[in-house]
Amino acid sequence: MIRFDSFSKRFGRTCAVESLTLSVGAGEVVALLGPNGSGKTTSLKAAVGLIHPTSGTVAIGDPPRPALEPAARAVVSFLPQKVLFPDSLSGREVVEFYRRLRGVPAERTDAALRFASLNGASERAVGTYSGGMVQRLGLAVVTLPDASVLLLDEPTASLDPDGLCAFYELVEERRAKGKSVLFTSHQLGDVDRLADRFAVLVEGRLVAVMSQGALAERLAERGVMRLRLSGRPSTLLDRLKPLAPDARWAGDELVVPGPASLRPAVLDRVRSEGVEVRGLTAEEGRLDLLYRELVGEER
Amino acid sequence: MTTGSALALCARQELVLAVRSRWTQLFAAVFGVLALTVATSGYILSGGHGVQDFARTAASLVQLVLLLVPVTALLIGVLALAPDRGADELLYSQPVARRTILMGKVLGLLAALVGAEAFGFGAAGVVIFSQSGNEGLGGFLLLQVCAFVLTAVFLALAALIAAGSTGRRTRALALALVTWFVAVVLFDIGILGVASLLRSGPASRLLIVGTLANPVDAVRTAALLGIQGTTAFGPASLSLLRFSHGPMGAGVLLAGSLLLWLVGPLVWAARRLSRADL
Ligand SMILES: Nc1ncnc2c1ncn2[C@@H]1O[C@H](COP(=O)(O)OP(=O)(O)OP(=O)(O)O)[C@@H](O)[C@H]1O
Ligand SMILES: [Mg+2]
Repeated sequence: MIRFDSFSKRFGRTCAVESLTLSVGAGEVVALLGPNGSGKTTSLKAAVGLIHPTSGTVAIGDPPRPALEPAARAVVSFLPQKVLFPDSLSGREVVEFYRRLRGVPAERTDAALRFASLNGASERAVGTYSGGMVQRLGLAVVTLPDASVLLLDEPTASLDPDGLCAFYELVEERRAKGKSVLFTSHQLGDVDRLADRFAVLVEGRLVAVMSQGALAERLAERGVMRLRLSGRPSTLLDRLKPLAPDARWAGDELVVPGPASLRPAVLDRVRSEGVEVRGLTAEEGRLDLLYRELVGEER
Repeated sequence: MTTGSALALCARQELVLAVRSRWTQLFAAVFGVLALTVATSGYILSGGHGVQDFARTAASLVQLVLLLVPVTALLIGVLALAPDRGADELLYSQPVARRTILMGKVLGLLAALVGAEAFGFGAAGVVIFSQSGNEGLGGFLLLQVCAFVLTAVFLALAALIAAGSTGRRTRALALALVTWFVAVVLFDIGILGVASLLRSGPASRLLIVGTLANPVDAVRTAALLGIQGTTAFGPASLSLLRFSHGPMGAGVLLAGSLLLWLVGPLVWAARRLSRADL
C-alpha cells in the first residue's frame, strides 16, 4: 500500500504539493490527475524516495515504512515520467542490469522483453530506439520484480495501441494479484479503463477524490437528452419545470439536461402536451467535462 | 541483494559504459600517443643513440600526468556522476542506498580511467624496454601508481561536485573546470606569490602547507621523490623534506594528504547525494 500523510513539498518559493493525504490499498488502482505542474510527478517521486518531503510523510508497503529507506523500496517498481537509458547499452543489457539489481530470477529477462514486444530490437543499442520503444523498455524494467506497489508516471504517454493494450493487461493482472497501483495520466481513457478511484491535484492541492461508482453517478447526472418535436408549444417549458428545471430550446431542439432516470417521465409529459417526438438523442456526462469542471472550480 | 553485490554490479555497469564512451576512448588514445611521444622523443632527438631510459621518461611523463589526469577525471567523472532527471530516477528508485550506487559508479569509472592510463604507460613501456632495458623501471611504475591515485582523488572531487548538481550538468562541468584551474594553475601561482612576500621562515612553512594541501602538488612531489630523489626538487619540496626529516617522512605525509583528499570528498559526496532531491 501507499500512504501520503499531509505530504508537502516546496522547491524554493514554489509549493509543488501542499498537504496531500491519500492512500492506495492492496488491489487498488488509483489515477492521479491534474493539469501540468500540479504536483503529480513530485508526489510519485516522494513515494519512491527520490524527493524529501518538506513536511508530512510518505510510507509504502505493509507494514508501512518511509519511502526514503532503501529497504522499503524493495516492494516498489517505479516508472519515471521521462525515462532514459544510456545510449550505448542494448535493451537486453538494460533489463539484465535491473534484473540483477533486484535479485530476480534470470528467466524474467526474456519475459520482460516479451512483454515490451522488444524481442526484435532488444539486442540493439538503446540510442537507436524510438520514443515509444524507450517507454516500453521502461515498462519492461517495471515488470521485472513482482512488486506489490507500482508507481507509474504517465505510463501511456507514448504507447501505440498495442502497447496500451499490453499495459492495461499488466495493470489488470497486478490488481487481481492484490497489488497497489498509483499512476498519473492525461489520458482520461486510462482512468475510465483502469482506475478504481481517481484523485485530482490542482496547484499542489487535492481537490477531488472519486471512486468509479461515484464517478458513474456524477456522470449519469450530467446526461443530456435532445428531442426533435412536431411542434413548439409555448407552455411546454413551464410544464416541464417540476421535472427538468434546466430544459431549454436550442433552435428546433428541446434540450433536457439531467439524469437518465428522468427521461421516461419527461417524454410522457411532452406527449401529454399533444406533441409528437420525431427524433431523440441522449448522451451521458463526459469525464473530460467533469474533469475540467473540477479543475476549473479551483482556478 | 547485498550492498557488496549491488556495488559490484553498479561498478561493472559504469565500467561498461565508460569503455564504450567516446570520451574515455579519446582519453586513452591521447594519453597513449603523448606517452609514446615522450618515450620516443629522446631517442629521435639524439639521432637514435641516446635512448631515454625508464627513469628519464618517467620524469618527463610526470608533467603529462599532472596536466591531463586531473582534468580528464574531473570532466568524465562529472559527466557520468551528475544525476540526470530521467536517466537516473529509475536507478535511484531501486532498493539500493544512493551512496552504494555512487561508490559503484566511481569504482567503475576509476577502473576505466586507470585502464586507459595503463594502456598509455604500457605502450610507452614497451618502446623503452625494447630500446634500453629495464633500468629505472621502479620509478616508472611508481609514476603509474601516482597517476592512479591522482585519478581516484579527482574522481572523488568530481563525485562531490556532481552530487550537488542534479539536473545541472552544465553547472557541474563549469565547476569541474574551475576546480581543475585552481588545483593545477592558480594554486601554485598564489602560494609562490604570497611566499615571495614573506620572510624565509613563514614562507617555507607556507610552501610545506601548499605541497600537502593540493593533491596535484602532493602527487608531483611524491612522484619526483620516487623517481629522481631530491635532485629535481623545487623550494617547496625541499622545505617539506627538511620538515619531515627525510624522504620516508615526506612520503608518509604525502600519502596521508592524498588519502584525506580521497576519502573526504567521497564521504561528503555521499552525504550531499543522500540529501538531494533527484
Ligand atoms: N526540481 C525542481 N525544482 C524546482 N521546481 C520544481 C522541481 N520539480 C518540480 N518543480 C515544480 O513543482 C511543480 C509541480 O511539478 P510536477 O513535476 O510535480 O508537476 P506534474 O503534475 O507532474 O506536471 P506534468 O503534468 O507536466 O508532468 C511545478 O510548478 C514545477 O515547476
Ligand atoms: Mg509530471
